[in-house]
Amino acid sequence: MKTNWHRTIGLILIAAIAAFLPTNNAAAADALLRLPNFDALESKASKVVSISLDEKLLGIATRFLDPKNADDSAARAVISGLTGVYVRSYTFDEDFAYPTTAVDAVRKQLNAPGWQRLVEVRSRKEHANVDIFLLVDRDKANGLAIIASEPREFTIVNIVGSIDLEKLHRLEGQMGIPKLQLEQKESRK
Amino acid sequence: MNPDPQDNFENRLRAALQPVEPSEGFADRVMTRIAADAVKRARMGASRWFVMALAASLVAAIVVGEQWQRRQEQAGIEARRQLLEALRVTREKLDLAYQVVNSEARSPSRDAGS
Repeated sequence: MKTNWHRTIGLILIAAIAAFLPTNNAAAADALLRLPNFDALESKASKVVSISLDEKLLGIATRFLDPKNADDSAARAVISGLTGVYVRSYTFDEDFAYPTTAVDAVRKQLNAPGWQRLVEVRSRKEHANVDIFLLVDRDKANGLAIIASEPREFTIVNIVGSIDLEKLHRLEGQMGIPKLQLEQKESRK
Repeated sequence: MNPDPQDNFENRLRAALQPVEPSEGFADRVMTRIAADAVKRARMGASRWFVMALAASLVAAIVVGEQWQRRQEQAGIEARRQLLEALRVTREKLDLAYQVVNSEARSPSRDAGS
């Protein structure tokens, strides 16, 4: 009788864990954007930054961060809880009109439920457009996306995983970057 | 009359050199021993090869291990570089957003006029 009771509790626990796991994975999977192929940009860019760090590579990178180095320590604090960091950045020698289809494909993914636009900046003076999106799930940020376009630079950043905005905030201040008012939702068109 | 000592010696020599029939199974015993010696030699050769192969394997394992460790280290250094670069780009873009928001907040009249 006691054994049956234990078995029932065990089954309930397994079912609860099984029900919980796909939710977490789904949240992580949603935060991971399908970045399009930017081959056309690569051939025209003077500088290309293409970084894809999945969970495994982030783990390897973490092991090589120097705890005595301030930047490394700050980076370690920021990436704890992350499962992926993806960056595509292209710099051009002259003003360049980017193909909007690829960017629109990324924007479309950010229309999915959960993604919230945190900042939308359109600067006519500097011709800079920056959109910052957060994937929020139960009041927790599980993903970050930045789409920034300037006349000579185009950048997409996708950070996957549990993002501690406080740590990001601290990173901005610590590394000589003025603190961004993340608490305030900016929406300028 | 004493026998000639030389004759005595010759007799003994003759007796000693007299062909003797080998005992029964002598040839079989010789062949068995030859075979056993061959097996022993083969075993010694095999064990020598085994030791050499083991030594070579150890050396190869050490070399491969060192190469793997070096590759892991290079991958780690490269992953760290990429991580810091990715965070730098992220910070840059956050800063750009901040600057634009800040500059436009400071000069609303100019934007309104344009």
